[in-house]
Amino acid sequence: MTDLADRRDAETEVYQPAEDSHLLADAAVTDLRNTSTETPPTDDASLALEVGTGSGYVAETVADETGLRVLGSDLNPHACRQARERGVEAVRADLLDPFRDDAFDAVLFNPPYLPTDPDDERDDWMEVALSGGEDGRKVIEPFLEAVGRALAPDGAVYLLVSSLTGVEEVVALAEREGFSAVALRDESFPFETLTVLKLLR
Amino acid sequence: MKQSLMDIICCPLDKQELELDATETEGDEEVISGTLTCTECGETYPIEDGIPNLLPPDMRDVEA
Repeated sequence: MTDLADRRDAETEVYQPAEDSHLLADAAVTDLRNTSTETPPTDDASLALEVGTGSGYVAETVADETGLRVLGSDLNPHACRQARERGVEAVRADLLDPFRDDAFDAVLFNPPYLPTDPDDERDDWMEVALSGGEDGRKVIEPFLEAVGRALAPDGAVYLLVSSLTGVEEVVALAEREGFSAVALRDESFPFETLTVLKLLR
Repeated sequence: MKQSLMDIICCPLDKQELELDATETEGDEEVISGTLTCTECGETYPIEDGIPNLLPPDMRDVEA
């Protein structure tokens, strides 16, 4: 009984890996590997955080493929449990609130980005995972305001953005917070194009 | 959570250091349950099933 309940829990209350997750993981892994060969290896293991880790898939993949220590934070307690079951160090948190200044060499985020009519908002965890408010940027905006504090001065942000959310608008928000943006990867789907942005200061 | 997480996390309210009080541990490094207390404001945060809940108190009880 418990197993079945857990499985239902997993499917309905935690966002499961999809095209956007794979694209973000792949782009970040490739870039982090290239970056780490340019700089001499140090004894300090580099530290990364995936914000809104959900199932923990991206955090686990990046940790496995790069050797970085990758934490996962999520607002959703079900997501924290699933990520931990995958072996991801999970912290229940609102964005980057409980992390120290300059703590991370890399921060990854596949945000809730779908523009949603306020009248259609449901009050459940899947809505929290998907909905970016009316313009799709309701969570991206506070994230960009907060991420600079917890990011090391030469750290990088890997942010997944959809054409539905407005890539130019997100780039402008990032620039307002002192970041310059590079598009690492684009992939087109029937209703949207997904882009992985790398933000640097 | 790993003990070494203490060097990375802070109080979500005032960003000050936390003090760990572990009630259940696994091996040398893993904390299964306990509390984290802010050394400045005194707010406490629970650790349950190995997961620290560092949501501010007004968000902690959100369980949709």
